[in-house]
Amino acid sequence: MAVEVAEALEAAIGELRTALGTEYVMTDFHQRAIRTTNTSPMGLHQWKDLLPDVVVMPASTAQVAAVVKIANKFLIPITPRGAGAGLADGATPMKRGIIVDIKRMCDILEIDDEDMTVTVQPGINMQELNKVLRPLNVWFPDDPASYPVNVLGGRIGAGGWSLLGTGYGHVPDLVCSMEVVTPTGDIIRVGAGGGRKIRKSSVGYRLKDLFIGHQGTLGICTEVTLDLAPRPQAQLPVFFATRSWEDAHRMTLAFNRSGIRCLSGVVMFDEAKVEFLRRDDEAWIPLPEWVNSAVATICYGTSVELEAVKSSIFDIGAANGGVYMGQEISEGDWASRHDRYHLAYHGRSDGTIRLMSWSCEDAAITWSQLPTVKRRWYEIAEALVAKHPEHFDIWGMFMYTGNPFRPWGDFLTEIDIGVNELEMTPEIWADWVEAKTQIARVSVECGGSVSAAHGGTREGEVDVACYEELKDGQFDLMKRIKKMLDPNNIMNPGKYHLDEAYEDEETA
Amino acid sequence: MSQQLSSKPFYDEKIEGTIIPLPLIKDCYAVFACRHKFCREVCPVYQDDRDESHTSYGFHTALLGISQGMGELADIRETITNCLECGACELRCPNTLFGGDFYGASTTTVDLVRKVRRDLVASEIGFEKYEEIVATVDRYIGYFEGPEGDLTKWADGLNLATSGETMLFVDYFNAFETTDIPRNAAKILTAAGVDFGILPRPGATLGELLDINLETFVEMGRHNVAALEQAGAKRVIIINPHDYTYFTRDYTTHIGELPFEVVFITDVLEELTNNGQIVFDEATANEVFSKVSYHDPCTLNKICGITESPRSIIGKLPGVTYIDVTPVEQWSYCCGKGNASFKTLHPDTSYKIGAKRLQAAADLGVSQLVLACPHCKDQLTDVGARSGIAIEPVHILTLVAQAMGLD
Repeated sequence: MAVEVAEALEAAIGELRTALGTEYVMTDFHQRAIRTTNTSPMGLHQWKDLLPDVVVMPASTAQVAAVVKIANKFLIPITPRGAGAGLADGATPMKRGIIVDIKRMCDILEIDDEDMTVTVQPGINMQELNKVLRPLNVWFPDDPASYPVNVLGGRIGAGGWSLLGTGYGHVPDLVCSMEVVTPTGDIIRVGAGGGRKIRKSSVGYRLKDLFIGHQGTLGICTEVTLDLAPRPQAQLPVFFATRSWEDAHRMTLAFNRSGIRCLSGVVMFDEAKVEFLRRDDEAWIPLPEWVNSAVATICYGTSVELEAVKSSIFDIGAANGGVYMGQEISEGDWASRHDRYHLAYHGRSDGTIRLMSWSCEDAAITWSQLPTVKRRWYEIAEALVAKHPEHFDIWGMFMYTGNPFRPWGDFLTEIDIGVNELEMTPEIWADWVEAKTQIARVSVECGGSVSAAHGGTREGEVDVACYEELKDGQFDLMKRIKKMLDPNNIMNPGKYHLDEAYEDEETA
Repeated sequence: MSQQLSSKPFYDEKIEGTIIPLPLIKDCYAVFACRHKFCREVCPVYQDDRDESHTSYGFHTALLGISQGMGELADIRETITNCLECGACELRCPNTLFGGDFYGASTTTVDLVRKVRRDLVASEIGFEKYEEIVATVDRYIGYFEGPEGDLTKWADGLNLATSGETMLFVDYFNAFETTDIPRNAAKILTAAGVDFGILPRPGATLGELLDINLETFVEMGRHNVAALEQAGAKRVIIINPHDYTYFTRDYTTHIGELPFEVVFITDVLEELTNNGQIVFDEATANEVFSKVSYHDPCTLNKICGITESPRSIIGKLPGVTYIDVTPVEQWSYCCGKGNASFKTLHPDTSYKIGAKRLQAAADLGVSQLVLACPHCKDQLTDVGARSGIAIEPVHILTLVAQAMGLD
């Protein structure tokens, strides 16, 4: 580190301690190391290079604004961090600097069960929020796999997707308005028009959307008013086994067209996913050999509604080659949906256990393109595993309904790959990045999007996202917006290739 | 009897500065690789300070970071004290939930935290307030070395035997700090017609020793096992749930298979109520009892899985209106005292965790919170006095004794 940079950092840390208190400005290695990682794999060989210089834990909007102003004063990068449960490296600093950990800001500020909103700070976890809301018979229906650990600020920064979004909407649909500290330290409120609890307004630009899914590059949410829903009386998870993935694919279209309004999600498990579950999942191991793929449907609603649609669900499944897998596996798998999807021990190499982390591609793909994407993705993944059988392992595919409030159209399409981080090398990592690039390119070539849920910021897919998916003017506009809001390139620099906005100026 | 799902003998291999043994690296990686961090929101310490380094994921990641050349053991001397050793994170970890049985790969954070603390002591690094922990240990070890009668003074006037096939094991905390609890246990068992004895000189059963001095813990354990065997024990009744974890998990790990059965007092009382040896006095019930809830001690609920018998007994107490909070919901609760040293190390956090627990009971509209642990009783009584939260912590043996008319 150059002398002047080190001196600026030291001076900044001093001011941060004055603003937040010494206890909440942390420089110990482990405090920085733990906040370097998120849920997506990284080679451990990279870890040390990604460490931030300092971690701060503000407790208020004013403290967040103070941190941002100090960062601008000393030109030190900031990376906002929620739960670190994202899958697009949004909370991983690319240029060291300051991690702004928002988890101390976890208060519920207002519950309004008449206008059906709740106003919270961004560090609150959804499960904890719903524990408080339960006696009022309302809930906040954001239900990602990370439900027990994630926090609202991270969900907003990533533009999160929910397992129940088909019924209740995803995070972008559930934000009424929010307070944001901009990259220059200004405090603004964005919403649908100006009303804090208004969901639909035609006044002004839709600026709220600009501050959702930006991966921490445009600001830090410090307060948010969210849309609530009546707590469902009942739920009906129904899992069908099929003899082929094609049956599952066809069955899903039938559900898409069914017109069942309380259908809150449909999930396909492909052949490799079923085989993967048979490795160690005691619910799936005993299933007969003919079980090749599966479709899970979930309905949420009133008891009367669910009773009325039950026979339709079973009829559609049976008419499309599905065999009901039984109440135990349907209810058990659905109940444990947040818990069971990754263990390092899942990893295999030549049939033996090899500890691996989990990579999850999450393209948005239309129903008609799923067979093509599936075939091409496996070609890429199988070539990677053939080349590095001790470092990668195919864990199968899920396809989830992705359209908010409607079960048709696009699907969050996921191929899961085990990654041996412990034994990673730069050369093998380069092959991994190349495979990710190819996977992302298939998504775009098939008319989809690189990411339905996580964001397009990861190494490997970010080139495709910026230069191919967003090539028709969107990426250029992103750069102009970034530079306008963040003139010093303080907020999460390096993400989405937005540094180019500043390089253009230098070149000129 | 409780048992550990995962045996990790490599925890015995000491961490030296920056050198982490390979099996421990893999063990830490298995938690790091999870990345889902479900150990967070269930952790009472994290709920208070929101610092992810004070979680199972944080501890394992810190050690993994050391193995990758980012720091050394001394760097985590402060962080590693921020654990109650309550076991909630172990239960909530996907490795335990879905890999515990299948792979024998449960996460064992409590043992890891103790191991790291001991390694810090062995490396002469120590940790903040280490001397206070040593002083506590020395005071209790002093009881072992003191006059024999002191250790059984709690039983004065009860005329208890010192041998028998059934032995009641009474730890030093109960024997010196909460004497009404062992006295009630003895009175109840006697009234129920159980023949039992007590050790005249039990060895110390201190969680603090697991944090700083495993050798003395094991030495005391060997003394207890030998003394109980010599006394003729075929069945040992434990009244301190912390002791129950030491006998069933730590003694079996470090000493070997025990030559007697170990049972917790509430399981015994449930059996005695079921077979009619304990009968409650209906006539005085409504004057004695009130609307209550039950606090699952971490050691019973999260570490040993004993949750049914206390509820069963409370359900049989005449006149009681019982409001339950499920054991799973109580994974995220703790009285705040912790399994050993936490209250000494972090008194302010300890108080806040205790106050949160007590307030949760108050929010249920109950007047008493029933406990099955002397440490929870001690802690929540202190917290109640300091906070003014109007809930009376009451030990389950007190209620049983009252209901049997044994006052």
